[in-house]
Amino acid sequence: MASDVHENVERHPGLTPLSSTLCADPDNQRSESPAPALTQGNEPGAAQDEAMFVHAQSYEDLTGEVEVPLPQSPGPEGNVEISSMEQISEDFSKLSTQLSVSSVQSIEQNPEEDTEMGHEDAASSSSSPEGDGGSRVLDDWYQHQKHVFVLSEAGKPVYSRYRSEEALSSTAGVMMALVSFLESEKNAIRSIHAEAYKVVFVRRSPLVLVSVSHTQQSEQEISQQLLYVYYQIVSLVTGAQLHHLFQQRPSYDLRQLLSGSERITDKLLDSMDVDPSFLLGAVCCHPMIANLRDATTYCLQQAKAKSLVFSILMSNNHLVTLVRKKDQYLHPIDLHLLFNLVTSSSSFREGEAWTPVCLPKFNPSGFFHAHISYLSHKPELCLLMVSTDREDFFTASDCKRKIVERLEKKGTWTSLKEALRNPFYDVTQIGIPELRHFLYKSKSSGLLTSPAMVAPYDTDREKRRLVELYQYLHGRAHCSARPLTTIYHMGAHENILAWVTEAFELYVCFSPLGTKSSAVNGVSRLLRWIRKEEDRLFILSSPTY
Amino acid sequence: MSMAVNGAVQTSVNGRGPPRSPASVYDLACKVMLLGDSGVGKTCFLIQFKDGAFLSGTFLATVGIDFRNKVVTVDGLKVNLQIWDTAGQERFRSVTHAYYRDAQALLLLYDITSKTSFDNIRAWLTEVHEFAHKDVVIMLLGNKCDMTGTRVIRTEDGESLAKEYGIPFMETSAKTGINVELAFTAVARELKQRYSQQDEPKFQIHQYIESQKKKSGCCGYL
Repeated sequence: MASDVHENVERHPGLTPLSSTLCADPDNQRSESPAPALTQGNEPGAAQDEAMFVHAQSYEDLTGEVEVPLPQSPGPEGNVEISSMEQISEDFSKLSTQLSVSSVQSIEQNPEEDTEMGHEDAASSSSSPEGDGGSRVLDDWYQHQKHVFVLSEAGKPVYSRYRSEEALSSTAGVMMALVSFLESEKNAIRSIHAEAYKVVFVRRSPLVLVSVSHTQQSEQEISQQLLYVYYQIVSLVTGAQLHHLFQQRPSYDLRQLLSGSERITDKLLDSMDVDPSFLLGAVCCHPMIANLRDATTYCLQQAKAKSLVFSILMSNNHLVTLVRKKDQYLHPIDLHLLFNLVTSSSSFREGEAWTPVCLPKFNPSGFFHAHISYLSHKPELCLLMVSTDREDFFTASDCKRKIVERLEKKGTWTSLKEALRNPFYDVTQIGIPELRHFLYKSKSSGLLTSPAMVAPYDTDREKRRLVELYQYLHGRAHCSARPLTTIYHMGAHENILAWVTEAFELYVCFSPLGTKSSAVNGVSRLLRWIRKEEDRLFILSSPTY
Repeated sequence: MSMAVNGAVQTSVNGRGPPRSPASVYDLACKVMLLGDSGVGKTCFLIQFKDGAFLSGTFLATVGIDFRNKVVTVDGLKVNLQIWDTAGQERFRSVTHAYYRDAQALLLLYDITSKTSFDNIRAWLTEVHEFAHKDVVIMLLGNKCDMTGTRVIRTEDGESLAKEYGIPFMETSAKTGINVELAFTAVARELKQRYSQQDEPKFQIHQYIESQKKKSGCCGYL
């Protein structure tokens, strides 16, 4: 078992093979060589003229708001860093060999169910803590890997991932006491680390978000997830309304207003545990030949209306195409929230839905109205149109009709359906024998590409483990106390590599039989392949109406 | 009153965009809106009518409003019912209000096993009078009438409330399908009558319902 951790390329000449092989041809723009990849805006997958999303340079951009400055002095995170080589090695071996401790426990306790089922089951039964078996239910409640609580500043429960809000009052009291105790000293509590547990606090007035977890995720990533939950709540009620309600009545019970939306937040949290696009703050594109994508985009562009701001086609949480109003940019977080809204409710699957939705990164103070309809179920294709006008359902509905007509008339529909059948490509077509899976994010376009998770990552458990490995790599690469640009780890089950530059982020999983030099070679070939395929893997243009 | 005739010729009283419907051919189109507290069974009621199926299992809250079409035939005339299924939650009130005045008929549902949902009917009716078109056809429906064991609102309570407001009433079950079809066809008949305005005897929605409805008590007819 060996780990190479490189804080900085310059300081570790040992890594020069990786960077020098890749930097061979610095002047050749958009050539087959991924050389220009190291400058932002030229990496594979970078938009050709203008990006479609709000320019999110880095992961820190997404989380870094004015609030909660990151600590300069070594916090608990800093302490961990001191012994980082040993620590990282140990963490990796835990992740490589087993699921994290807690899930193993839960598997032992529910031998007849897999982990996923265990979660579901406990979640639904814990909604009724009363009645017989109440204590058993509560035991289950304690078994969950990651609890998420949202409280108002008055300590009233707003959301609990595994329900039992009523039973929470004393816990909520303790959490609020901790928060306000530190605040009275003009300080802020960020996290508590106790053995394998992390308690992470995120304060977004008028809400306090708390996560209690025992996973390998870094504190920073957990805060990022909590922020997503905050944005989710804002997207349901708007930031303006949220502040107004609590200003009027600090003891307001927000659950009243959020009733029926718990499922949406649950789904968000579940997705964040398995979908790396949240982790990277990037949007996954559905791979498709450029001509077909352009033809589809054209149909969306033609169906325009004054009030429409965005028209989006999505399939299985992958972006097919997005058309925007001139000078208006969507933020990846807002798009994730839209995707989450659509996938979390089956009520959209029939008919045409019209619902208010706030895009917190675009404008937290008001509602947009989204027209949501499925154009096809198998393969899945969902059309979302975001309008500024509450009264414009019929206009949007008319646009939908036009889009469908045009798609059918132009013959795009048949080929589009064909292309949608498989949302992923096979990693074997890249032709790198040791390569098993990877995540590649182009920073300037905010887009992500990744192949299907095939054997051995074809079970829920193994998929989850791979995502946990990526989460860990990502956490290490972006640790604010000591960011790392390259990480290579050889494990019993796979060798993994992370490479973060100004322009892109790459996380690769290789077979455990490969060597470090074959991995370096593989990465360079992989980047060349991504460059070659970029117009299929990514959306390089950013069309407007 | 905005009605679509022959799927193409349309008159629109409030000047809004016409509701273009799917390719289906029909003689008359009208908009029906389902209203009521969250959880009274509006979506199930609609699905029972549209697909003849009952959505059992977990509760799925509708998000925003949901728009669907179904064509029914009334005396040889094809009536396209454009049905708005609304979310009962408070946070969607504003979007629901915006579409009240487009509706020609409102089906107001409560749950016979929930006193709150029944008590809120008055509040719903106040809203209706405030936002809806004044000629709107309103019908009060006591849903979940199959759940006799947990009933808390007697049939008479529903009847007297409906009488007070002068609106037709019946008890329905989205699960067994009792009176579901009837609620929609009664609306379609009433609207067809209003549209045609011919010399034929005036359609009496109250009488029609009284003659057609099945009492929830008599299980033999289910």
